[in-house]
Amino acid sequence: MLRRSRGHLAALLLATSLLVTACGSDKQGATSTPGQPDKVTVGVIPILDVAPIYLGLERNFFKDHNIDLTLKQAEGGAAIVPAVVSGEYQFGFSNSVSLLLAQSQTLPIKAVANGVNSTGEDGKDFAGLFVRPDSPIKTPKDLEGRKVAANTLQNIVDTSVRASVREDGGDPAKVEFTALPFPDQLPALQNGQVDAIFVVEPFQQAATAAGMRKIASSYVDVAPDLCVALYFTSEELLGQNPDLVKRFTDAMKESLKYANDNPGEAREIIGTYTKIAPEVIAKVTLPKWPPDINRDSIEKLADLAKDDKLLTNPVDVSKLLP
Amino acid sequence: MKVLYGLAGLLGFGVLLELAPRLGLVSRDYAPPTSDILTTLAEQFGRGDFWVAVLDTLRTWLLGLVIAIALGVAIGVIIGSVPLLRAATASTIEFLRPIPSVALIPLVVVLQGPTVEATLILVVYAAFWQVLIQVLAGVADIDPVAADTARSFHLGRWDRIRFLVWPTALPYAVTGVRLAATVALILTITGELVMGSPGLGEEIANARSSGAVPEMYALIVVTGLFGVGANVLTRAAERRVLAWHPSVRLEVRVPA
Repeated sequence: MLRRSRGHLAALLLATSLLVTACGSDKQGATSTPGQPDKVTVGVIPILDVAPIYLGLERNFFKDHNIDLTLKQAEGGAAIVPAVVSGEYQFGFSNSVSLLLAQSQTLPIKAVANGVNSTGEDGKDFAGLFVRPDSPIKTPKDLEGRKVAANTLQNIVDTSVRASVREDGGDPAKVEFTALPFPDQLPALQNGQVDAIFVVEPFQQAATAAGMRKIASSYVDVAPDLCVALYFTSEELLGQNPDLVKRFTDAMKESLKYANDNPGEAREIIGTYTKIAPEVIAKVTLPKWPPDINRDSIEKLADLAKDDKLLTNPVDVSKLLP
Repeated sequence: MKVLYGLAGLLGFGVLLELAPRLGLVSRDYAPPTSDILTTLAEQFGRGDFWVAVLDTLRTWLLGLVIAIALGVAIGVIIGSVPLLRAATASTIEFLRPIPSVALIPLVVVLQGPTVEATLILVVYAAFWQVLIQVLAGVADIDPVAADTARSFHLGRWDRIRFLVWPTALPYAVTGVRLAATVALILTITGELVMGSPGLGEEIANARSSGAVPEMYALIVVTGLFGVGANVLTRAAERRVLAWHPSVRLEVRVPA
């Protein structure tokens, strides 16, 4: 009796979750009906970087490649990799270092298209390393023994800040990082909780407006035209439907090129999927969206991540990249 | 009169939040004055995506609540009516109940991805216990004399539930529903905020990551209004459903 009753409750709970699971979206996007466009869901983060895919959706670049595109916003992006691996999403957007880490942990993922790149111009990038105006920190080297805010640890931000410190002749291992979401970084810097912050747009605008001093454009310090993020898929989908993946890549390339060539339209579309104030959007520094992946910069990131002991397993960049 | 006092209190709070940033007590960038928030809120009312988010949140909340109530009442009556079942499940319930629903977020994200279903699981899990515990307590509160009477009248199982268990458990169940409504709202917003399933929570997260501070507060105010609405509605429902119960019946109340 005792056994049965517990089983009863567990079964009901399980049934509920199964019921809810059954209502869930169709797993694995290989739901191609002949003559119908492929239904594809892409996990993105509501930031400037993904403007091209929104533009591509608006300008029917995906429809032209027989793809019925749905964009799903996920906060922070930590949920995107598992959702792509499980087949909930067919493609996702993630920063290059996180993807390298995932690949070194042998998660079955594969990059399929470029995501977003640094402008490559020192001082005029879409992200920057800031200190208080009266701070004794003059150059990245001075960050030794100091506390720096990064949006999450072990991704492209701390790798890039360490690259700035290293390039300036400092010891990157002596910099202390603390995880803090982008919106919380400027107040933390002003309150003195941290000594430096690394923020992307639109928070770079806020930091500049608040009089903070930029000491480095860390993405630029890693590599010229650093590839900051990529679109990726699961190896499962790539194996099942290589044609769909190729069409997605093609549509993505068109979208990237279009966004890069039409920054005005990119700014406009940013206002539709983020809540950044229009006067801020007009001022933000846009990233670059080259259609092709800068492989050298990914190699460089892998080397840096290895030096920083972020990657313990050897990583094969050619296995991640198409 | 009571309503007037309540409004005066709310107004005072609003004035306080208006003055604090204006007097420089808090940074205006991070805590905008009430007037800014209300202006932004008014702008929201004219936006389509705002109403879509409102409907998404309402749907997840109500659906989760209905599932939780149905499961909580059904399982509560069954377990509560069978002493052996009750004894056998007590420890399991006491173990599962205190697990904060938010702790399940990593699990449901892996199972469901950041979807409405994932948020629904959180909502149902959290709200279910509120109902179940109350219904169990209600069923346990049956008057022994009434129970003996029912037995001597040879009431069948169904009639026992209908005429004995249900009227006793109902006031408890209604309290459970009122608690569950609030908990379900909290988990709906949490799921949307943390996982990014569509709704007001996601909009709040989006406003935050866009540096749109007044809009973020405006959306938070909306979720607060949801909570107030939930309480008012469940209270009203309570009065209707329990119109016969001494706690609600006016004529037996001690005059205040």
